[in-house]
Order: sequence, then structure tokens, then C-alpha cells
Amino acid sequence: MPRLTIDDIEIEVPHGTKVIDAAERLGIMIPRFCYHRGLGSVGACRMCAVKFLQGPFKGLQMSCMIDAQDGMVISTTDAEALDFRRHVIEWLMLNHPHDCPVCDEGGHCLLQDMTVSGGHGMRRFSGEKRTYRDQYLGELVQHEMNRCIHCYRCVRFYREFAGYRDLGALQIAQKVYFGRLADGPLESPFAGNLVDLCPTGVYTDKPARFRARRWDLERGPSLCIHCSLGCNTVAGARYREVLRQEARLNEEVNGYFICDLGRYGFAYAGHPERPRSPRIGSQAVGWQEAVAVACDRLARLGPRSIACLSSARASVETLGTLKYLSKRVGSDHFVCFYDAAVKFKMGEIVSKLDGRTAVSLRDIEKADLLIGVGADPINAAPMLALAMRQAQRAGAKVVMMDPRPLFLPCDFEHLSVSPELFDVCLSALVKSTFDRERVGKHGEAAVTLYDRMLSCDPLDASVQARLEPLIAVVEGCRRPIIICGSDIAPASSVSFAADVALLMGEVKDQSGVFYVLPGANAYGAALFDAANGSSFESVVQEIEDGAIKALIVAESDPFRYVADRDRLQRALNKLELLLVLDYLPSETVRKAHIFLPTRAIFETRSSFINQEGRLQVAEKIHSPGTPIWQVSNKGHPPRLYGTGICGGEPRAAWRVLQQIAHTLVHSQNEISENDPWPVIGGECAVLARHHQHNGPLHGLRIIPQTSTAAFFDGDLDLQPKQPMDGHLTLLPVVSTFATEELASYSEIIQRVIGSPCAYLHSDDAERCGLLDCDRIRIAVDDGFLEIDLTVSDKMARGFLILPRHSRFEWQKLHCFAQGLPVEKIGNCTP
Amino acid sequence: MKRLNSIEDLEVLRQQILEQRKSIRKRVRICGGPGCHSGGGERLIEAFQKLLDEKGVGHEYMVTQTGCHGFCARGPIVVIEPANIFYERVKVERVPEIFERSVLGDDLVDDLLFVSEETGEKIVREKDIPFYAHQERIIFNDTGLTWSTEIDDYIARGGYSALAKVLSGMKPEEVIEEVKISGLRGRGGGGFPTGVKWESCRKAHGEMKYVICNADEGDPGAYMDRALLEGTPHQVIEGMIIGAYAIGAREGYLYCRYEYPLAVKHANRALDQAREYGLLGDNILGTEFCLDMFVNRGAGAFICGESTALMASLEGKLGEPRGKHIHTVEKGLWNRPSNLNNVESWASVPLIVNQGGQWFASIGTERSKGTKIFSVVGKINNTGLVEVAMGTPLRKIVYDIGGGIPGGKRFKAVQTGGPSGGCVPEELIDLAVDFEQLKKAGSMMGSGGMIVMDEDTCMVDVARYFLNFLVQESCGKCVPCRVGVKRMHEIVSNMCEGKAEPGDIEHLEELCDTIQEAALCGLGKSAPNPVASTLRYFRDEYDAHVLEKRCPAKVCKPLLTYEIDTEKCTGCGLCRLRCPEGAIIGAKKECHCIDEELCVRCGICIENCKFGAIYIE
Repeated sequence: MPRLTIDDIEIEVPHGTKVIDAAERLGIMIPRFCYHRGLGSVGACRMCAVKFLQGPFKGLQMSCMIDAQDGMVISTTDAEALDFRRHVIEWLMLNHPHDCPVCDEGGHCLLQDMTVSGGHGMRRFSGEKRTYRDQYLGELVQHEMNRCIHCYRCVRFYREFAGYRDLGALQIAQKVYFGRLADGPLESPFAGNLVDLCPTGVYTDKPARFRARRWDLERGPSLCIHCSLGCNTVAGARYREVLRQEARLNEEVNGYFICDLGRYGFAYAGHPERPRSPRIGSQAVGWQEAVAVACDRLARLGPRSIACLSSARASVETLGTLKYLSKRVGSDHFVCFYDAAVKFKMGEIVSKLDGRTAVSLRDIEKADLLIGVGADPINAAPMLALAMRQAQRAGAKVVMMDPRPLFLPCDFEHLSVSPELFDVCLSALVKSTFDRERVGKHGEAAVTLYDRMLSCDPLDASVQARLEPLIAVVEGCRRPIIICGSDIAPASSVSFAADVALLMGEVKDQSGVFYVLPGANAYGAALFDAANGSSFESVVQEIEDGAIKALIVAESDPFRYVADRDRLQRALNKLELLLVLDYLPSETVRKAHIFLPTRAIFETRSSFINQEGRLQVAEKIHSPGTPIWQVSNKGHPPRLYGTGICGGEPRAAWRVLQQIAHTLVHSQNEISENDPWPVIGGECAVLARHHQHNGPLHGLRIIPQTSTAAFFDGDLDLQPKQPMDGHLTLLPVVSTFATEELASYSEIIQRVIGSPCAYLHSDDAERCGLLDCDRIRIAVDDGFLEIDLTVSDKMARGFLILPRHSRFEWQKLHCFAQGLPVEKIGNCTP
Repeated sequence: MKRLNSIEDLEVLRQQILEQRKSIRKRVRICGGPGCHSGGGERLIEAFQKLLDEKGVGHEYMVTQTGCHGFCARGPIVVIEPANIFYERVKVERVPEIFERSVLGDDLVDDLLFVSEETGEKIVREKDIPFYAHQERIIFNDTGLTWSTEIDDYIARGGYSALAKVLSGMKPEEVIEEVKISGLRGRGGGGFPTGVKWESCRKAHGEMKYVICNADEGDPGAYMDRALLEGTPHQVIEGMIIGAYAIGAREGYLYCRYEYPLAVKHANRALDQAREYGLLGDNILGTEFCLDMFVNRGAGAFICGESTALMASLEGKLGEPRGKHIHTVEKGLWNRPSNLNNVESWASVPLIVNQGGQWFASIGTERSKGTKIFSVVGKINNTGLVEVAMGTPLRKIVYDIGGGIPGGKRFKAVQTGGPSGGCVPEELIDLAVDFEQLKKAGSMMGSGGMIVMDEDTCMVDVARYFLNFLVQESCGKCVPCRVGVKRMHEIVSNMCEGKAEPGDIEHLEELCDTIQEAALCGLGKSAPNPVASTLRYFRDEYDAHVLEKRCPAKVCKPLLTYEIDTEKCTGCGLCRLRCPEGAIIGAKKECHCIDEELCVRCGICIENCKFGAIYIE
């Protein structure tokens, strides 16, 4: 490790550390514009010049371009360096429009900071400034090119780091322009990062434009809960409303960046129709009355007639307290997943993720082979795609098994096979890497599984031919990671992926499995929902049978997910009590007999466990209450500060649930009212250990070092079913920004999502007489569903892929679960 | 064409070509270089060819379009071999006469011969003309002699024999050693020892290595690389093949400037021909050695002549340079070891291999070996491309070869090294031109442009001209070059427009220092040179512009005052009538005067005055 001296202080840094970073470790912030640790050095701005006094380099050098080496003596305050930096900032300010009073970057602008710290005060220039025309870059990012200082951060991120090509540097010399060839929305779902990256105000947050000064924001660490990755954010609120979010560095999870869903999805919390008052029937009431009536009605019911439903979007606090309540009221039913298959898969995942198999997003970046099994990163977990691109840039091979016409911002090998073939394909790909002896170390079951792998049916010739070169890659790689979805991947594959990862660990330097889960807290939900035979299907059944008379729904909306909505509707109608706690204006909330408003993530401290078992905390950002902007009809400055009864604003779900539990069983003294964790710990042994979870900055992995679960116990699905003649298999899939529940209540996201679109293989399309861009019509029980069609030959045959899009009633197709007869598809293209 | 499957095959082919040409009695060489081409050289070839066909004497006489002869001031040039008769400024109407008298007959067309200005004597033979006689033509010799689009012609003259020599037993290390002995230094301007570069590239780790030819010649007024690539593409390609063999490259690229379509055409044609003969591709000349090469046409950015920017552009990225702390010989094109040399450097290689490094090292000065091609342009009689040994005095280039300044004006300075080079003033006219001496004088070798300036040139205006070029052509990546040079240009423009203020010169110096210190690439670091070097030698002119608001060379119009000599003015009124601004007043037959406020310094009055009464103060 090189030792060097910066400003008379000695420091030892790891090999490959840039001098600028070495100084930062000492707390010396060398001015910079173009350098960004996430993007690397480029040497464009010349702002980080320091004087090298001794060592291999001499004189004025850019500290971002030079690796720290032994014996270097560096001065950051040398007169020559200061003078040079003063010149640079003077040059940069020559063309800047000085429009700080109306610039949203004002107050946290690097250019402002550097102008002051660089000592530039007097303008020695009277010439004309260069000016540009700004472009329309979509609804999320505002463009103001005149402010540009040409640090190239934007294009380096957009093109090199993220792999999209519609934004770039155009022209040369003074005319260099960062933009698109023509006006239009940025195509990348990571475009919002330009706002964070730009050291001045060229790219600013459009939805938050002119809404608040940065220094007026209530800011705090938060989390993105729109997918299972758990990216870290900083939320900024003003007047009881989150206005903008920025990426928060977490070196184990999202790094420096987040996707646009994470950045702009927050608006659900300020939805104008968000229910903010307790309600009995359609009558708004005070908290005390609502809770009392709820408790009273619950108390009148028998112990086994109450069921509890929550979801993967609820926090650990909500889930734990609901579980506690369900036990207290003697309920047999505590359900977090609507689909029994998903629940089963989640159980497998939670039991098989341990210190040997779990990997983080950072590990993905370091992998040299990524095998995707039924995972669609761009649609289901965008930041995963970005991590995969970094791996691929560093030389990794990416292989994706998926029937969908996948898109990734990097080169990859796509095996468009049906989900039933995942096991066979994965076996064929990896089996030659193992030998019986090594496998034997994992016991009998492993050998049995290995034998099953060896005996699996041959694949058809075309797939086999594509696999051959990949098998060699698998054999040669050192750090393979399997990326496995939990959506279209069958349970056997989900289980098998972990088994393979464990076996790979035996023969490779590092290996692991990275699951994409169906919700921000799916892991947490599975922890509580694990040892429980009940499913939502059985709950509905028991409601129909009259055994269950009350349903407590906490932060969950079954209407959104359950396919047979008519049946659900009939079942709920039979209930004596439907008690709903939520912060969304959902269908279920509208049907509630008693409704209790809860707080969104920004209004209460809450914890979530991401897909690798990392427990992370989002702090409370602002007080609950109707945003003043809404109350005062968007006037400025606001004159009206509130409506409704004081103290009537939403409460944290866990507090309400705990209060109900205590009222019902009269045991208030037992536990603290201000800390949900004793209750949570009581319900989940794993979490009990992390009671004091003001844990590390990067979150806390709660997975066991070695799982006690039985690996290699799953049965491989090696005999693919033959599809029915004249039928297409329906495959409802996630679609970027358009499927996720919270985002569907977020007005900003609704502005940018595309229209729904179905996919069909070109052979199937020909068979059905359909063409690309046709509008198709599917006959369902009570009418037709219309959707645009895209014909692709990069997908598996025999599938009609449909988006679970918020503007497409895919639930109505549940009657075709066994296959859609092609004659049901009509063409309504004029 | 037949593929050559062994080294012997090449010699056999050469003999065959020579055999076929035995019947040729005379050969007419018509210059196809840029200068002659634009003067109508193409039509001369057609005319000669037509006559050959009409008379049916194609087997006895041969017309070839060669590359540049160098003497561009006298183009289009026609030379008839074997007598070496040199005809200058040939018009297409004169072709039948030349054909009749000098090709079919052995007579001369007197009025097309070169006339010596000193003695008034007519000179018949090309090599006797002083312009050629004082040069040392080695690298640039074949360009005017070979048929630029025919590989057979190149082979007949001994082409590819250096490659044959290398492949018939020289180890790569031996080739590198030979180049190191020759002392060849990069001709693109950097002057880095070529052999050392090759050696580092050979030693660099990597399966795939590249050789790259930098033909992105963007300096205003410089066109030697263009002449070489258009005229003798095979000489360049042969050099690259040898280089590729020496460093272990399997792929090569010729990065050619967008503005050189003919060079692209000829280079592509040459590559095709070489491929057909098996001089490129797998198993070259039947050996284990494999190499293929491609031409890439640039998009018109000056900066892409910088090696790292060129490589970025080749990769399809933004043509911008990167920091030099990662060497391209280790991580160049696509992050693989890459050896980039200039056209002239590559063209030197076959000669070094054939005649030995010692021979090459015997020419030139102690640290600058061999010869250098310069393009001598500007206020000089014999505009053209000249090749001289390193260390040749500037005086010899300007006067003996260049024929001095037209109109008997005084020599003021010569600008060398392209836009970011510097000016060498009159007092250094005896400077021995090589890498070191030019650098010492505050200029640089660059790619070899020489712009000669006479007493009518304003040095501040010259600095402004070159700064303007650099402002336009900065890639825009780093701040000092993008903004700093623009700022310098604004200050110098102010000087030329009479808007300068005291302290501006010091401000310029401050900018020069800062930009030189910390621009990202070589171009940026040298961008202040036009100002730095003119300030060094012509500070008095700057002072005159700033302090006295006066342009000593009478170039900067806003600083000029037009006045009427009361003695000479007859009051004819012509100037008053012609003045577009109505700035001249005066009654008939009385002395006129100019209203300085209205005068736009267009100079129409001077042109029109029959009495020479109007002058510039």
C-alpha cells in the first residue's frame, strides 16, 4: 500500500487510489468538476490541479489522473496550484449565465462553491457569452445548456456507464453541446441521475422545479420501495410533501445512482385523493372512535374468524405488529402473498440465502459470468441492469434464459426458452463444471441432484448449439452469479438456482445467487409468513364458507393482484368486518367498513429487507398531513396551513395495530408504545437479534452464515409440458414503471410510462394472421380487451406476453390460465 | 493478378514486369499532386493518353500519373523520360505539340522550359533546376516517379523488397534495432524515437496489437502526408507491414483526413492490390506472418490528428484526447497495445531497412537524423514540397530552394510547426533546422509546415489568425484550451481592432503560462505558441498596437488612418466619387480630405487615385 504525504500529513491508501481520493480521506477536498468516483477520471475540467513536490511526478498535475504512489509529497495549497485553479474557475465563469437566483441548483451548486473557494471575484471579461438553445428532454429532467461548464459527467454516465446512446456530446470547441440529436424524452430509465451528477444546473429535477430551495428542504435518508433492491435515497420535503429525491451512496447496494422510478415514484405519498382521515363506512370520524369501534367489532368475533392480510410493500414494523396482532386475536391466518406459488418460492429463497449464496449488487459488478434465469432486470429491478452492465464492461459474459424479448443496456446472450426449460438449460450449462467427488462433499442429496442433472433430456438442436460455446465460458469463469427471478421462474428453478450457486462455490473463487423478489419487503414478508400453511386462496375460501368473518388488511390491496376480482368482491361482501389500514386511495380502501389512515415511508421511521436479506432503515422525513400546496391551492406563499381535526392525521400502522392488540387483550404494560421492535423481535427470531438496528450505514445483512435449510431438496422440472394445440400460453409480466403499485399512484411516473404492449413471436403472429403494430382484441367473459401488439423473433414461441400494466386489465384474463385459444384473438386495426 | 506465395515470387514478378516494359522507349510523367491536379493535370493525362491511342504507339510510349513532384508553384508539371525534360505550367492545348516534338521526336518545346531567375538561362533537365538540385530527396523521391495507382510500377522500382528482406530472415528485434540505429524520430511533430516506440509496443502485453498510420494532416498549409499517401501509398503501406511485423501486430489502420478523398481512394486501391498479391492478409509472401489493414476516413476534426483522439475516433467515440499518463503503446486502440506513426515516418521505414540504419543516421544532425519534408508556402517564390537533410540552414530553404521572397520584399519570419508552432524571425535565418534548434527558437518541427512571411505581415494579425484556427478546432474537452485560448483570441482581436488596453499584453502572458502548464493534450499545451513566440520576437509590434494604436505593417485596418497628401492632390474628385461611405470631402480643383469617422479603410480611394496622393499613416 503506497504511503504519501499530502499537505504535510502522511497517509497510506490502497493501490489504485487516485491522489484526489487520498486527499479526501484526509478530509482535504480538492476542488473538482469532472471527477466523480462513480465515473472515474477524465481530466477535462483541470480544476483539481495540485503541486507535486516529490516522487515520480513533478510540478502541477491533475490529482484525479494520478494514482497515489509511494513517496509522493503533494501540496494542495501551493501558490502555483491556487493561482492555476483561480484561472480555471475564472474561465468557467466566463460563459456562465449567472442566473443563480432562478436556478434550482442554487445552494448546492458545485460551481458556486468552487467560484468562492477558488477565489474568483472580479470579472476581467467583456465579450459575449456563448449561448445555446435548450432541449425538451422529457417530463423528468430540465435542460439549461447555458449553465454548462463541460465536465462531461452527463455523457460519461449516460453513454459509458448506463449504456444508452440518445444523449451525447455534439460539436467541438466552444460549441460543445450536451444533448440529443432532436428534442424528445430521454430514453434511459436512469436519466434522473444526470440531475445528481451535473455539478451545476444544466440538468435539474423537472417535477421539483421552482418548488423549493434546497436549503429549505427537510432532508433525510430514505429508501426506494418500488422494487426489491432497496436502493438508498435522500428524500427532501417541504410543506408536508416530498418534492424530490436524490441517490444516496451505498457502496453495497446502489452505489452512487438510482433509477428514475426510485427518484420520481414518491408522489403516491402526496396523492390528492390519499385518504387522510379515519372512517367508519363513509363517515369520517376521529381516531379514538374509529379504533374503539374496530376493537369492539373484532372483540365480538370468535378467535378463529379473523384473518390478517398484508403485503410485500409493508415495512418490517407493520408486518411484525400485524403478526403480533393476529396471534393475539387467535387468528390462524396471517398472509402476505396473494399467490400461493409466490409464497412457496419466497419460502425457498429465504431459506436458501445465506453467507455462502447471497450476493449484493456490488458483487454483480465484480462477477465474470452472469446467468439470468427468468429475470428481466430493466423491467423488474432497473438498477440490477446497471450493475450487470458494469460487469459486462469489465469483461463479464451475460447469459439470459427468458421467454421474453429482453432488453439490457449491455451485450448479452439470450436463450429465449420457456420457463419449463430453465432447469434443463441451467443443468446443461453447468453440469460439466462439477464432478461427483466435489458434489459429494455436500451430501447424498447433492449427488442425487447431480445425477438428475446428468440425466436431463437433451434440448432441441438449435438451443444446444447456442449452449455449446457458453458451456466453455461457464467452465472457464471464476466468479459466476446466477440472477433468478421469482415471477415467471418456476419454483423448481428458484430452488435449483441456489443449489447450483452453492455447488459453484465449491469449484469457483466466488459464486452466488441474486434473486429478484416481488416487492420491497418481500424478504421481510416471507420471514413472518414462513411457518404458516395459510394462503390468500384459503382465506378467500374460508370467507366464502363463512368461517372467516373479519379481515384486517394492512397496507395491501388484493384487488390489484388477485386475478378473479369478482370472486374477491363477493367474498369481501360476505365479511362482517373489513378493517383496512393504508396510505393509498386503493380499491380495497374504498370497500373498507372501517378505514384507518397510515403513514407512508417518508412520515415514519420504517425498515425494509431487500432481496439479499439486507435490513435497511428509512428515517422520518416530514410530519404527516395534507401538503400545504394542495390545501392552499398551489398558491405562493402558502397562506392556509391545514384542514381537518388537529391530531387526526395518519399514524404509523404499527402504532395503530399495537393499540388495537392491546385494547383487545388488555395488556398495555407489556411493551413500549414508542418502539415496535420488542414486538417484532418476539414474532421473528432472526430480527430479535437486530433489535438495536441503528446498524451500519450500508444496512445489515440478517441472513445466516450457513443456512440450516436443506439444499438440493427440490425436484427438477426436466420434462417440459407440451403446449396445447391451437393455444398460446399467457405470460403476464412486469413492465418498467407501469406495474408497480406505488408508482401507479404517482402522478409523475404516470406521465412518463408508455402505453401497454403485448408481445408475440413472429411465427405465432403469422399463424394468427397478425402483424407488428396491430391492435389486437382478446375476447374475455364480459367483452374485449384491446392492446397493441409487437411482433418479435427474440422471444419464445407459443407465448402471448402481456404487461401487468396499470392501464391494462390483465386480471380479466385469469380464465385463460391454461392457455388462450388463438381464435380468441382478433385484430381491430382499422 | 497472381498471389505471391513466396519471397522468391516477388522477385520473379519484378523481372516479369521489367520484361514487359522493355519495349517502352519513353515515359511521360505527369504530376498528379494536389497543386498540379487543381491546375488541370488530370486533363493532360487524358490528352496524352488519347494521342497515344490514336497513333497506336502505346507499346513504345507510356503515360503515367505520378504523385507530387513538389514544385507546386510551377504546376502542372510534365517530365519526359529518359531525357528528364521538365515542362512547367503546361496547358492542355500544348499537349499535341509536346507529344509531337518531345515524345515522338527528340526536340524541345522551348517556352515551356524552366527559366532561371538569376541567370535567365533555360534549364532542360528536372534535376538541374535549383529547386531540386539543393534538395536531398530520399523519402519523397519516388512520389514524383511512380505511377501512384499501380502496384506493378512500385514493384518494378524495387518496391516491397524491404519487406522481402525482413521476411527472409530478419527477426522482429533486428528490425527494431535497425530502426533504432537509424535514429528516426516521429515525423508527426512529437519527434519521439520511432525504434523505442516500436520496442515498447512489442514488449507490451496483449494478444492483439495494432499499427496505425496517422494521415490526419490538418495543419494549414501542410500537405506532405497527403502527397505521400496519394503518390506512393505502397511505400507507406510497406513501412506499416514491416512495423507490424516488428511489433507483432495483426491489424492496421490508416486514419486519413476527411478532406483527402484522393488519398483515401489511392490508399484503398493500394490495400486491395497488396491483398491480391498476398502482401497483406494471411501468410504474407508464404510466411507465417498475417496482417490486414483498413482505411478509416476521419470526420474533419483537427484534434483527431492527436494520437489518443485519433484512436478514440477510430473506436467510434468522440474524438477527444485523453491524458498521456497511459501510454498508447500499452493501452491504445480498444485498450490494446497500439503503435501509431505519421505517414512520413512509415514511408521512411522501407528505405531504412533496405539501405541500413547506419546510412540513414549518416544524414542529418547529431540528434535529428535523416531528412524532413517541408511544405514551403506563403510569401515565397517556389511554393511547394521540399525535402532536405535535418540541419539544413533556414536560409538555404528560403532562398536557394524557395527562390526568395516575391517582389523583392524583405523576409520577416517563417512560421513553422503548424498553427500551434511558432515564428522564427529574420535574425535567425541561419538557424540549422532540426528538432532541437526549432524548439530552442521557441517554435517546433510539427509536421513540417513552413509559412514564409514578408515585411507586409503584421505579427499580431498572424497570431490572431492562428488563434482563430485553434479556437475553432479545439475539441472542447479541457477548459484551458476551450476557454483560455478563446480568451486569448479575444484579447488579440481587440489589439487588432484598436480596443486593447494597457495591461493586455501582461494578461496574454499570464494566459500563455497557465494554458501551457495544464492543458490536457499536446495541442492544448502548445496552443498559446503563436502568441508566445511572436511576443518573444516582435513585442514592439504588440506595444505599437496596444499603446500607440498603430499597426506597423499596415495590416490591421481599424488602426490605419487614410490621409491625402496636400501636395499631390489635384482635386480631381475621383476618390470622392468612388468612396462608398462618402467619407471624402473637398471642392473641385481643391485639395480633398478624408473624414476619419466615416472612413471604413476599404482602400478604394488609394486604388483610384491617379496621383498617388492618398497614403496610409
